[in-house]
Amino acid sequence: MIFKGFILTVQVTLFGVIIGLVLGILLAIGDLYGGKIPSTIIKFYVEFFRGSPLIVQLFIFYFSIPTMLNMLIDKFTVALIVFALNSAAYQKGYIKGAMESVYEDQMTASLSLGLSKAQAIRYVVLPQALRIVIPPWSNEFCSLTKSTSALLVIGVMDLTNVGKTIAAWTWRVLETYAFIALIYLLWISVVLKILDILYNKVKIPGIEITA
Amino acid sequence: MGKQKKEAVGTVGGRRIADIVMKCRNLWKIYGKIVAVKDVSLEIKEGDIKLIFGPSGSGKSTLARCLAMLTTPTKGDVFLREECLTKPGVALNKARARIGFVFQHIWLFHHLTGLGNVELGLRRVLKLPKKEARERAMQALREVKMEEWANKYPAQLSGGQQQRVGIARALAMSPEIILLDEPTSSLDPELTGEVIDTLRDLAKKGSTMLVISHEMPFAREVADEMMFLDEGTIVERGPPERFFTKPSSERARRFMARLIKRTRGK
Repeated sequence: MIFKGFILTVQVTLFGVIIGLVLGILLAIGDLYGGKIPSTIIKFYVEFFRGSPLIVQLFIFYFSIPTMLNMLIDKFTVALIVFALNSAAYQKGYIKGAMESVYEDQMTASLSLGLSKAQAIRYVVLPQALRIVIPPWSNEFCSLTKSTSALLVIGVMDLTNVGKTIAAWTWRVLETYAFIALIYLLWISVVLKILDILYNKVKIPGIEITA
Repeated sequence: MGKQKKEAVGTVGGRRIADIVMKCRNLWKIYGKIVAVKDVSLEIKEGDIKLIFGPSGSGKSTLARCLAMLTTPTKGDVFLREECLTKPGVALNKARARIGFVFQHIWLFHHLTGLGNVELGLRRVLKLPKKEARERAMQALREVKMEEWANKYPAQLSGGQQQRVGIARALAMSPEIILLDEPTSSLDPELTGEVIDTLRDLAKKGSTMLVISHEMPFAREVADEMMFLDEGTIVERGPPERFFTKPSSERARRFMARLIKRTRGK
């Protein structure tokens, strides 16, 4: 049961973080190069997801959207969608910052070779920005993993919710939650270690980047 | 239709226009209240080496960037061969691929090796297959004597080596003209020497170049024409000898005197 809950937490986190990364990149590009209107829309999007509590977002998606669209969405899907959209809003901020720190000159040099703007982003700006973004990105991973515990408000059996159930059955509240906390801790440490190795592996030789 | 048009403008008054690689007509660049380039016209013929010099802030870099269409001129026209680049709807990427540009602050791509820097345009702009791109990139690096360092990242190279990669990056694209914006001014004298040697080789091969530089011995040796730019406009132009013996404008004379003194001082 605990294992099932753990797998669910991992699924939601990884889905959120990966889809959030893809969306975040698109949002960052849209905000930086898309012109005024897309940039304003993106701002609203980001403000909504950063400015409102995750639990409220979960409720909104779980209760209102199915009514509005007149279709049934299961809890797990709601969880995936909300986490991806929420994470995209945060990741957009990190990625945009990193892209801005790749100076204008890299773009100018790309254009001078005849690359299009899109190609310059794809082959020059993003490869550099994504390297820089790894440390702040690992923060996003931590906080997203822990946020999955909010899923219990819509009744998804994530790790915390499993813990709550076990605690209610067994009355061993402290032991149960301590164990649950340990699982979170181990999982996060492992991923952070991997990200750290990755960061050092893709680091541009000769340059110490400080983000 | 395109071909017909080309032939129609190919010759005017018996002179082949195609011989002119690049020209600009009444070029202006204005930033807010600052006039960076003021009514500049010039033409660069096949194999020409033009040298632009002048005090800092005189608009040299802006002029070069306008010619490469890295910034849009406020007024005036830029032509690459017969094609007007300042008309709306021109495929600027295609045009820029035919113009080599070497930057004052080098601006290599930090995340790519020297070879990667040179390959990028060959692969993504000229769409060469991997193997061919690699060969051509190595050839370009050989020309600037950087093949040994091909796999080093920019941050692992000295300034002079970086700039030679920068030159190779521009060269590899086989541009019709190379614009060099003070290629040595961010380097110390020793490194300047190695870059100047590279440029001298280029000049000997008959490359068409517009060089912004204050390396006067180099200018005297290779330039076909020198242009003195001040306050955004060409104050004086002529063969190098005239600048070294008797510039006609007072402004150029004073500037030359200072430059020559500085060079001797070294």
